[in-house]
Amino acid sequence: MSAIGAKPAAGSAMDMTATIIGIIILLVIIAATYFLVGPGMAFMALIGVIAGGILIGFGVHFVPVGGAPAAMGQAPGIATGVAMLAAGAGLAGLFGGAWAAELGIVVATVTGAVGGGLMMAITCMFVNFIYVFGMGIPSASGKVARDPITGDTQAEFKSQGTEGHGLPFVSYVGGVIGGLFGGAGGTLIYLMLLEVYTEELPGMMNALPGQILPIAVTLAGIFAIGMFLVNAVLAAYNITGTIEGPHDPKFKRFPRAIVASAIASAVCGMVAIMIVAL
Amino acid sequence: MTVKVEKIEGGIPHNTIMVAGLIASVVLVYLTYANVLTGTQYFAFFGGLATVAALVWGSHTIKHLCSYGIGTGVPSAGMMAFGSGVIAMLFATKYGIAAPIVAVILAAVVGAILGYVANNVLNMKIPVMIVSLVEMAVIGALVLMGYAAMMSGSFELSALTTGSVSILGLSLPSYQASFLGGALIATAFMLGGIAIQHPFNACLGPSWTQDRMLYLAAECGFLSMIAAAIMSMPLISMGAALVSLFVAVIGWYYTYAKYIELSKRDAFSWLDSKPIPEVEGQ
Repeated sequence: MSAIGAKPAAGSAMDMTATIIGIIILLVIIAATYFLVGPGMAFMALIGVIAGGILIGFGVHFVPVGGAPAAMGQAPGIATGVAMLAAGAGLAGLFGGAWAAELGIVVATVTGAVGGGLMMAITCMFVNFIYVFGMGIPSASGKVARDPITGDTQAEFKSQGTEGHGLPFVSYVGGVIGGLFGGAGGTLIYLMLLEVYTEELPGMMNALPGQILPIAVTLAGIFAIGMFLVNAVLAAYNITGTIEGPHDPKFKRFPRAIVASAIASAVCGMVAIMIVAL
Repeated sequence: MTVKVEKIEGGIPHNTIMVAGLIASVVLVYLTYANVLTGTQYFAFFGGLATVAALVWGSHTIKHLCSYGIGTGVPSAGMMAFGSGVIAMLFATKYGIAAPIVAVILAAVVGAILGYVANNVLNMKIPVMIVSLVEMAVIGALVLMGYAAMMSGSFELSALTTGSVSILGLSLPSYQASFLGGALIATAFMLGGIAIQHPFNACLGPSWTQDRMLYLAAECGFLSMIAAAIMSMPLISMGAALVSLFVAVIGWYYTYAKYIELSKRDAFSWLDSKPIPEVEGQ
């Protein structure tokens, strides 16, 4: 982020006290929602929103994020930040899933996952095109000696003084898996909120369900985007910027992100549901 | 211990900008309520001015947070602000006249929880993390409320969801011709999200100067306001939309000229780069 490029101080250890306090906050929010809206559809929607948030937070860890060093060919990954990358993949999935919303939750969520995965697959392919044919650098990982999937050795292709470069096969696969998770999570949040809003808004605003549909779609969509970005940025804070993919040692930090995503989604989801339920 | 990679020396202290930005944007959002009192829509442009005030404050908060090297790039902070702000803002619109106050309070609560999660659960250990995320959520909520007030003339949920279309001279109520039903909020989200992160992203580095960045923030705010004024044309009366556009263009021209002037000033001087100052805790 700056020319000096200081590394953040976040370690890989898990702060147990903070985690327990976080889980207590999560349970308090779930319990409060249960008392306010009862065990009906709105409560199930909150659970769905939390599940979607966890999928997003977990999925971001698979995406090979390179940041500025990758743009200079000094680190592997896609040369941009997590927020942009996750937003691109997740929103592509969300739009795909939103088209299929009326076909039921399973079909829509799978469509969203395919949309996100497809977006990441295309992105990764063209990133490698540019790296290999534009910048003239081979793909090599700096974190592992052999590619965990293909078994290809990496060290011979790695330039001195770099952490690797390009997009090795395992990172490509990781990117697609991340897109699948992100797209599915975003679509799940959208579907859950859409269901609540189409049910509750007509009564609240004294209008026919058909008239209210554009508002329900907008509300669910903008909340899904908002929660998607919050979860993606929290996951980005967890991996402190750059990650190579599922083989990176930083990947092991994901339990923290799952707790964080669950709390953040619960807070945001509760407020989003209370708009119509209170 | 966190290494602080950019220094803040001289200039206006962050707390002054924060208080001024908060008061200015809340008061300016409230001034759009004059629409309801006078029965016109000509005061909608105050909503746009509220967004400019909040964006100036926001760019300095991003500077404050990102000077610790969060490692995820400056745009992520802007996205976080609006992702958490939009939720608080839409919930607050239910409360009618109290909406801006409710938005500030609720956004602060959401931001505090997110800040705790980021700082302690995710182990970021950045001294200003919680405060900054509280500020960011409040800014996101106020900017979106400002755009809502500017585009639809009011910040209440009923006005944001209901518009009117005229067919053969008859005015019919329509839910699609509204700030929410027409999904204008998605555009407002990105207009604000880009305007808030761009100033620091563009001005960071050893020759960073506070006044230049703040003028760029105001310039970005007015530029977004021009787009918002054009988008308000179908929702409010043409006269009111033109007033907004006029104010936005004047403001944009002034801040743009000022920013270019300051850029020329700073282009001449090369600051002697000093060793990285290390700040322990706070």
